[in-house]
Amino acid sequence: MTMRPRLRKFALTAHVTSSVGWLGAVAGFLALAVAGLTSQDAQMVRAAYLAMDLTTWFVIVPLSLASLLTGLVQSLGTTWGLFRHYWVLAKLLLTILATVALLLHTQPISYMASAAAETTLSSADLRGLRIQLVVDAGAALLVLLVATTLAVYKPPGMTPYGRKQHEQRMASQL
Amino acid sequence: MDDPPPYPGDDTVGGPDGGSTGSTPRWVKMSGIIAIVLVLLFVIVHLTGHGLGGHTPRGHTPSTSVTGHGAQ
Repeated sequence: MTMRPRLRKFALTAHVTSSVGWLGAVAGFLALAVAGLTSQDAQMVRAAYLAMDLTTWFVIVPLSLASLLTGLVQSLGTTWGLFRHYWVLAKLLLTILATVALLLHTQPISYMASAAAETTLSSADLRGLRIQLVVDAGAALLVLLVATTLAVYKPPGMTPYGRKQHEQRMASQL
Repeated sequence: MDDPPPYPGDDTVGGPDGGSTGSTPRWVKMSGIIAIVLVLLFVIVHLTGHGLGGHTPRGHTPSTSVTGHGAQ
């Protein structure tokens, strides 16, 4: 089912807004994770981890789910389809990967926030976990940048399924 | 690289107009190889225990959470 132009523009606006918002929120999260890992100021460390928890639950998770949902609507509601073009398929897989990884990593984020709220963290406390949050945020940022690049450049290439559909459409037009 | 041309009368990118219908493009093959290497690295790092210390430390769970979604 193909959406009408006005509805498609609305869906596209929702998708771009949620996807770019997700990217920006992860960039902010990365800055907080670096501050939490490297700052010598106990108040700064505490504030960083508390802010990361809030940002995760009230900005990043909702935006990631919105991006996934609006992306599905956008592809299924246009002639791009979901499985016809490699770039759409690659972007879908990257978005699912990033969303699942995010949902799996909400626990350590909340753990760090709880630890920061209860105690004054020294630079050695929970160091492995704090490094992991920086690495995870950096990896997430990279994945989202790749997804954004795919969406902008739309590298050509049809999947076998897309080629089959294309041939059927061409045959029906003859 | 040019965008696929939209359908006539359509000023948004609503879909392709055929696009490349040849065999699997090189960028897909290269991306697939990179993805497989990354997945293998990830699995090896986790199996050999050289990760960053796991997710949450065991044996201690903070009792409070800022958002109420704390570690269970």
